[in-house]
Order: sequence, then C-alpha cells, then structure tokens
Amino acid sequence: MHYPDIDKYAGMDSPVHRIEPRIKIISFGILIVSAVFVGTIPASLFFLAVAVVILLASRLPMRFILTRMKVICVFVIPILVLMPLTVPGTPLFSAGPVSISQEGVSFAVLVTVRSVTAILLVVTMLGTQRFDTTLKALSLLRVPGIIIQMLLFTYRYIYVMIDEFLRIWSSMRAKGYTFRFNRHGLTIIGNLIGMLLINSYERAERVYQAMIAKGYTGNPISFSPFRVTIPDCLFCAAVITLAVGVHINYLEIL
Amino acid sequence: MHISDGVLPLPVVAGGWIITIILLAVTLRWAGRHGDIAKEIPKLSVLTSAFFVASLIHIDIPPSSAHLILNGLLGIFLGPLCYVAMFIGLILQALLFQHGGITVIGINTLNIGIPGLICYLVFLAGYRRKIPLTLLGGICCGLAVLLTVVCLVGVLVISGEQFVTVAGLLAVAHIPIMIAEAVVGGAVVGYVARVKPELLPIPLAGGKSEDQNNNENEA
Repeated sequence: MHYPDIDKYAGMDSPVHRIEPRIKIISFGILIVSAVFVGTIPASLFFLAVAVVILLASRLPMRFILTRMKVICVFVIPILVLMPLTVPGTPLFSAGPVSISQEGVSFAVLVTVRSVTAILLVVTMLGTQRFDTTLKALSLLRVPGIIIQMLLFTYRYIYVMIDEFLRIWSSMRAKGYTFRFNRHGLTIIGNLIGMLLINSYERAERVYQAMIAKGYTGNPISFSPFRVTIPDCLFCAAVITLAVGVHINYLEIL
Repeated sequence: MHISDGVLPLPVVAGGWIITIILLAVTLRWAGRHGDIAKEIPKLSVLTSAFFVASLIHIDIPPSSAHLILNGLLGIFLGPLCYVAMFIGLILQALLFQHGGITVIGINTLNIGIPGLICYLVFLAGYRRKIPLTLLGGICCGLAVLLTVVCLVGVLVISGEQFVTVAGLLAVAHIPIMIAEAVVGGAVVGYVARVKPELLPIPLAGGKSEDQNNNENEA
C-alpha cells in the first residue's frame, strides 16, 4: 500500500504550475469534458495531442505519469480486446468463427484515446498543484462546504489510516500470517478491517472533541490568496475556444 | 469495479450525476433528522478514510488480484450517510489514484451507493428477524456486490449494445469478489459485534450474544 502522492511534484516550476488554481480547474474541466464526449477518432486524437502538449509544458517526470496511467488498463484493455471481436459490423479480418469488425476496432480505439486523454489531463492538473490548494480553489468555486470539508478531512486521515493499517499488517506478518484465498485467510482480513474501523472510530471521537475544543462549528473560515493574471485568462480563453471549436466543427460534419 | 472516463455516452453520465446529487441531498436530510449534520463531519471523515484504506487492501484471488468494494459494510456502519461517504471516497480514488474517471463519479457512486443503502435496510430487517450477526453481515456484503454488478451491467447495457459482452465478462469476474467480500464482511460484522457493538446500528442490550465462538481475534 502506498501513500497517494499525487502532488509529489507540485513544488516544481513551469508555465502549467504557475496557472492560477481556479482558472486551472475550470480550464482543465472544460478540456476533460470535451475530450471525454468527443465523437470521432480525429477529434479525439486532437484532444490527446493537446493533453500531451500541456503535459510536456508542465515538465512532470514521465515515470510519474506512467505509474499513474497503469490503473486504467484494468478497464480499457478488456474493452480494447473484446470490442473488435464482439461488435457486429463490416468484417475487417476473419479467421474461422473469429472476425474482427471495423466498427468494433474504431469504437475500441475511440474509447481508449478518450480515456487516456482524460487521465493525462487529470494527472497534469493535480500533479502541478498541492492537493489542498485544489480543494481550496474548489471551495472558492462554490462547491458545497460539507463536500470540501469531508474531502479535506478524509484526505488527511487516509495517511493516518495507511500508517495504522501498516502497523497492524506488519505485526500480523511478524506472527507468521500469509494470505491464502480460503475462509480462514479471508476471516483474518475481516478481523483486520474490523480492528481498523474500531481504531478509527475511537480516534474519530478524540478528533471530534479536540476540534470542538478549538471552536469548530462546522463552518470553515477561509482566506483567498489567489490572484488571476492576464496569462491565466488567455489560457482559459484558448481552452474554451479549442473545445467549442472542435465540437462545433464535429456537429457541422454531421 | 469503477468505470473509467471516456467509456460512457453523455446522457448516461449526466443522468448519473443528476441522480447522485438528488440522492446526496435526500440522504443528508434523512441522516440529519436528529440534529446538525455539519458537526458529524470529522467523525464521518475519519470512518470514511478507514473504509478507503480498507478498500485498498489487495486480495489475491487465484488468477489475478482484486480490491474489496466494501459498500455493504459502509451501508451497515454508516446508514444513510454511506452515500455521501462513498461519494467522497470515489472522488478521492479518482483524484489520488486514478481509479475510475472524474466525469463518471456520478454513475460510479450510484452503482455502489444504492446497493449500500439497500444493505442498510436489509441489515435492519434481518436483525429484527434475529439472524446471527456474522451470517447477516456476510449476506449483506455479498448482496451489495451482487447488486453493484447488476447496476454496472445495467449501466453498460443502457450505454450501448456493444458493451453487452464486456458487461457479461465483468459480471463473471465479480463472482469470486462477491464470495470474498461476503466472508470478509461477515467476519468484520462478527468482530465488531464482539468488540465494539455500539458501532453497529443495533440496540445494545442483548444484541451481542450471537456467535462468540467463531474465531479468536488477532494482532
């Protein structure tokens, strides 16, 4: 189990790092939504190119990006393999009962490109600013307070809980536990989770009382140190033009 | 199992967000009927992060490995608040680990949240029928995964007939997860019932005498 170090490289400096957080969230949001719902392969490749250009401008290390990309394979690879075989359409290639349809191939490629683009954009957006900055910007963008506070607290306590889990886990390992897929192995995992929950519940009581003591009422007080500059506005305008442009173009082709 | 970005068409994604936002409002009001929900935020968040970490535990199921979903347990422990907890958990999974996309958080929350809410009601009903807690927990957790798979297949089939085979394959792949989740969930409920029964949504007196003999605790 690893810490979720999404903002490991937030301390670097690049044009993307310097974009004002609120503007960054809005622009990347627009880009992601337009890239995800694009309907043709050329248009999706165009958005992929945009995502790659922004990624290169951000100077995030490639290894960081690639480790982050691994997880979507779980959902995308089955689609990439199965779609060509199962979607009916013009056969592109057939051998006996197996036939690969053109529609299947193009649909699979479209889905893959869209997923990859989305993940590149998300990683670039979150990798170039601290996670608490992102949440603060979201709160200034009028996301409801209860959601922001829960995100902040949960994010913070994930680290604590990972430590807690690793502590219990290493003591189990020290006593000779190895996981087997049978009733006993699973029951032990169940006890481990139960212990994690009870520990966290007791901790939650203490955290809650400590926060009450510090005057917590459920409403956050926040200050805004963010300043929007002219390059930020230009970036946002460029992104909106791009997104709207591609979608209008696509509609006209239809 | 989370759907990633770029797979589903716009109407399905938009529908998922609308239903999720409505359900968030409804469940928050339902949970807030006994007082101010804002004060519960710290407690709820710590429990949410515990569930988040628990769902990261890798289980080796022979051909590959999987993560537990734990939506049944969330339902049992948090009641109506499980929906907002899962919403937060999925946002953080999408943002921090890229598990599942950010545009499909609505749909993904729906897929695991509704089974969670159903499990809460099943657990309460089962408790009134005096079903042993470990068994009941197992049933609820297995049921939650089953319902999640049903929702997932439903969403994929609505999205287009090209997904039918993928959906079928996903459903089959979830059978071992369902079994694992039922056993683990039963163990968690049994353990908590013995060690700290006030965490469960049951009246305390006399409610914890079932299955003392099951398994000894560890660590």
